[in-house]
Amino acid sequence: MHIAFRYRLLLPLITALLLIVGYPLGFSFWVSLQDYRLTAIEGATWIGIEHYIALLRNNSFWTALRNTLVFVATAVSLELLLGLSLAMLLHRRTTLGRNFFRSILLTPMFITPIAVGLMFRFLLNSQLGVITKLTEAIGLRIDWFSAQNALLTLALIDVWQWTPFMLLLLLAGLEALPEEPFEAARVDGASAWQSFWHLTLPMLRPTLLAAIVIRMLDAFKVYEYVYAITRGGPGESTETIQYHIYRVGFLYYRLGEASAMAYVLIAVILVLVVTLFYSLRRA
Amino acid sequence: MKRFLLKPLLTFALALTACAPMTTTPVAPSPESGPASVQPVTLTVIMEQVPDYDIVAELTKEFEAKYPSINIEFEAMPYDAMRDKLLTSFLASKATYDVIIVDNPWMDEFAKAGFLLPLDDYIAKETGYDFEDFVGPLREIGRVEGKIYGVPYYNYALGLIVRQDLFDDPDYQAKFKAKHGEALQIPTTLEGYLKVAKFFKEQGIHGIAMQPQRGYKVFEEWKNWLYAAGGNLLDEQGNVIIDNAAAQKALELYITAYREAAPPSSLNWGFDESLRAVAAGEAATMISYNWMLPTLNKPDGPAGNLAGKFALYEVPGGKAVLGAWHWAIPKNTASADAAWTFIAWLTSKETDKQRVIKGGAPIRVSVMKDPEVWQKGFGQQYYETVLKILEDAEPLARGTRAEEIINEVGTFLNSAVAGSMSVNDALKAAAEKTREIINRP
Repeated sequence: MHIAFRYRLLLPLITALLLIVGYPLGFSFWVSLQDYRLTAIEGATWIGIEHYIALLRNNSFWTALRNTLVFVATAVSLELLLGLSLAMLLHRRTTLGRNFFRSILLTPMFITPIAVGLMFRFLLNSQLGVITKLTEAIGLRIDWFSAQNALLTLALIDVWQWTPFMLLLLLAGLEALPEEPFEAARVDGASAWQSFWHLTLPMLRPTLLAAIVIRMLDAFKVYEYVYAITRGGPGESTETIQYHIYRVGFLYYRLGEASAMAYVLIAVILVLVVTLFYSLRRA
Repeated sequence: MKRFLLKPLLTFALALTACAPMTTTPVAPSPESGPASVQPVTLTVIMEQVPDYDIVAELTKEFEAKYPSINIEFEAMPYDAMRDKLLTSFLASKATYDVIIVDNPWMDEFAKAGFLLPLDDYIAKETGYDFEDFVGPLREIGRVEGKIYGVPYYNYALGLIVRQDLFDDPDYQAKFKAKHGEALQIPTTLEGYLKVAKFFKEQGIHGIAMQPQRGYKVFEEWKNWLYAAGGNLLDEQGNVIIDNAAAQKALELYITAYREAAPPSSLNWGFDESLRAVAAGEAATMISYNWMLPTLNKPDGPAGNLAGKFALYEVPGGKAVLGAWHWAIPKNTASADAAWTFIAWLTSKETDKQRVIKGGAPIRVSVMKDPEVWQKGFGQQYYETVLKILEDAEPLARGTRAEEIINEVGTFLNSAVAGSMSVNDALKAAAEKTREIINRP
């Protein structure tokens, strides 16, 4: 009776999840198996896994997936590196004005990404961009949105906006660490680097894992910067997977194909997350 | 954790299941009962947030005074939001929008999908409407398989906008003559355009503010070059010819112009950036919408002290890319008659004249030939040039998959300009992709 009551309490949540998550997920899978176009919904026919097979030959899709992976890897590793360094710095009691910096460093996170995209579109503009003018003043002429640089530029914008998130999480993790092992290490004569490498990093592993996974999943969704700045160009050099799916699904109205792409994306992300979990857990 | 994974998918699925906001639209007056019917009707009109919208909104006050039973509610939004909103409204059991505007790449797609109401009967019944008065190429965009689904709202045909003061400068004229042995003139061929553009670049001012941004922009600009070289996307039989010799020539010249006469690092430039370059006096010419001329010449406009120094001409080669918005009525509206009453009033000769005088982009021949419009508007020369441009213009692309063709071809073109694909490879790939899109079941 007691157990039954417990499950009964869960019922509203399960129902809500089924409705909000289960139904759309199932429906979009069903859509991916059909020739489903928004301009001809009535005429949608069952085509099985044809969309999935067609994806194998679809160069634009794989280019977009590769671009996204490069973007995620670049952005998240830089954010981790910067976030961890800043967190270590702000964690030190001797750092001057740490409370002030703590709050000021978090501000980029509060801006909506589309606004960040528009901001950087102007900051990096070759005609009137402040950053362009500053780099030119020191003799550096960088074409931020050339075919070679554009994807990296977008990753750097992501780093600007989301390093604070890494910082926030890692700082919380650092502050939760017990003092005793560090005191013992100091007594044993460990250097700062040794206590970082042998104590801080291993003890921080769960937090690192969470931070990387959350940021990674978030970075996979990159859309706003692409939309506001490059529209996937030059060529296909900044076409990310979400932007590609948006174009196929909502600009060309080919929802069946777009759903198939979304499912392949889910599979790729799942593989990545599971691998990451296993490797970090085992270590 | 899992919910993070689900988000991208949810976006799709929810969009399908979500219903657009509904507006209650009472029954429209029947044509027999006349416009001043007793049943009040509210029409929701979707608009793009551009200066032309402001003019329409202002004029509509007169409409509401004349037809007190029809209330107009505008929903203005940026271009990018419109396609989704329109589709959601088409698919809903009851239309969100009773009057819509349709961009030309969407016309065949929406009409053939059965989303739009044919307007032939309405037009035939409307006394004094004079449908033939709309410029031919504009009128034809609204005609799909012999039926009229849209009447023109405004044009965005492309023209060559130049700094006339630079062309008239005796110093530049002398230098050009000394170098090329001919007079410095407004270019009428691609080769001539390149020569002039390079000349200005040598004088320290960029020859052309180009718009090679991926997708729509580069395709829209380059297609003028393609026409000038004698090429096209499809031939008259509908075969894809975008990889022929004319297209090769057009793209080679376009890339040379970008490398040798356009501002550096402008690979990502669209409309805003090139306009800014010209308005700031950094570039001597651009290929842009014909109605940018009055904006640039406005004393309190973006060009500041340069206002009044700009002039409009036909693009080199004469034939221009035509863009246009059309008014249309969705099939699922409950107020079709009232919707037509509004459209007919707004696009009538009288109202259209007011709209053009206030700065709206012209669509009717009679309006462009009206001395009152010349005098109260932007002068005889401007309207005559616009008429010439419109009469020799062809839409960007037609067919139910125009939007996709424009974007895909525009991606390859941009790759070629960026140097990541050769001209030959880019055009071959563009042709192959276009064939694939057209032949898809």
